[in-house]
Amino acid sequence: MNLEELEKQVTLQEDIQEIEHLQKLYGYYFDNGMYQEVIDLFSENTESVEITDHGVFRGKEGLIKMYGGMIGMPRPGWMFFEVMQSQGVIEVAPDGKTATGRWYTPSFECRPFGGTKKQTWQFGVYDNEYIKENGKWYFKKLHWNLTYWTSFERGFLKVPRLSDTPFPHADAPATAYHPYPSGYHVPYPFKHPVTGE
Amino acid sequence: MNLEELEKQVQLQEDIQEIEHLQRTYGYYFDNNMWAEILDLFSDNAESVEIVDHGVFYGKKGVERVYVDMIGGKGRGPSPTWMQFIVMQIGAVIDVSPDGKTAKGRWQTWLCEAKPYGAYPRQEWLHGYYENKYVKEDGRWKFSLLHWNNTFCSPFEDGWMNLPLMGWMPAPDADAPPTAFHPYPSGYHVPYHYKHPITGE
Repeated sequence: MNLEELEKQVTLQEDIQEIEHLQKLYGYYFDNGMYQEVIDLFSENTESVEITDHGVFRGKEGLIKMYGGMIGMPRPGWMFFEVMQSQGVIEVAPDGKTATGRWYTPSFECRPFGGTKKQTWQFGVYDNEYIKENGKWYFKKLHWNLTYWTSFERGFLKVPRLSDTPFPHADAPATAYHPYPSGYHVPYPFKHPVTGE
Repeated sequence: MNLEELEKQVQLQEDIQEIEHLQRTYGYYFDNNMWAEILDLFSDNAESVEIVDHGVFYGKKGVERVYVDMIGGKGRGPSPTWMQFIVMQIGAVIDVSPDGKTAKGRWQTWLCEAKPYGAYPRQEWLHGYYENKYVKEDGRWKFSLLHWNNTFCSPFEDGWMNLPLMGWMPAPDADAPPTAFHPYPSGYHVPYHYKHPITGE
């Protein structure tokens, strides 16, 4: 192997590492309601953000529309979203400029529900895209697919989702919202590593 | 890029990888009450260990006291098999210092536990964050500081909203009281060791 080939291989490993960090940082900012920090992780050329059935928010403007209203909004201590960014599979494009990532997210939550509060379990799958600009990785597209959103007490078999939550100010309705028990599989961004299919 | 620069970059990737393994290995030993093995994952120059509200234990001696004597229950004999501490080490963000000799890591943890409460076994869910420090000595990464901050410790049956904390567990022989123990629903944020990668703030 010559130096140039080696450099390419090292860059690929660095890219995967940085993208994993980016996704986990997103999670750690999201946990604490740090929405400005979340917005800053996205490229100026962001394509879209789509979370559960909230709908599609397009471009950096859509992103700000989605998260911007929540910046600095005080949150009672009991309201929380612990989203565990787990099991990244990151694939960097051969040109090293874009990448895809699939992740699992088990999460614990507590949030208001009508006049009361509810503790809930959530599970979902990210199907995200990243872009490298000026040597740094950013989110280009974020899509979180809900598997279940259930009450702590009753579980996903009895209550797969607590309610529907479309956002009236979305740019377009959700493209894929098929919670448990639909049997829906979030499409894989990657090919099978052995068969290539 | 010349060979020396490339070597540095490879070194950084190796360091991150080794530290991730170190932390997960800690978890896999913790699962199985392998306290002597855990002790050996710490540097002889370890700064401190702080777990939930047990308090701060300084130095390698403190590491031994907290794991071997206290959590491991030295002299208590083997734990019953129903007792378990499964600690899932999730979400590593490892930052190695520019000189490659020390590092910091943030993790989160999801735990499934069963342990005695008075005369009764209880099953519980826990969540928490690590903000740890690591040191490279003789080419190997070790823990230099471990701090695990508990978000909640709740009965399986009731959940974090109804019972965020199963009980206080200060250790009488700790060297100092806990520095940051603010479980749910305090809204406390465990401080980040890193700057925002884009804004640098």
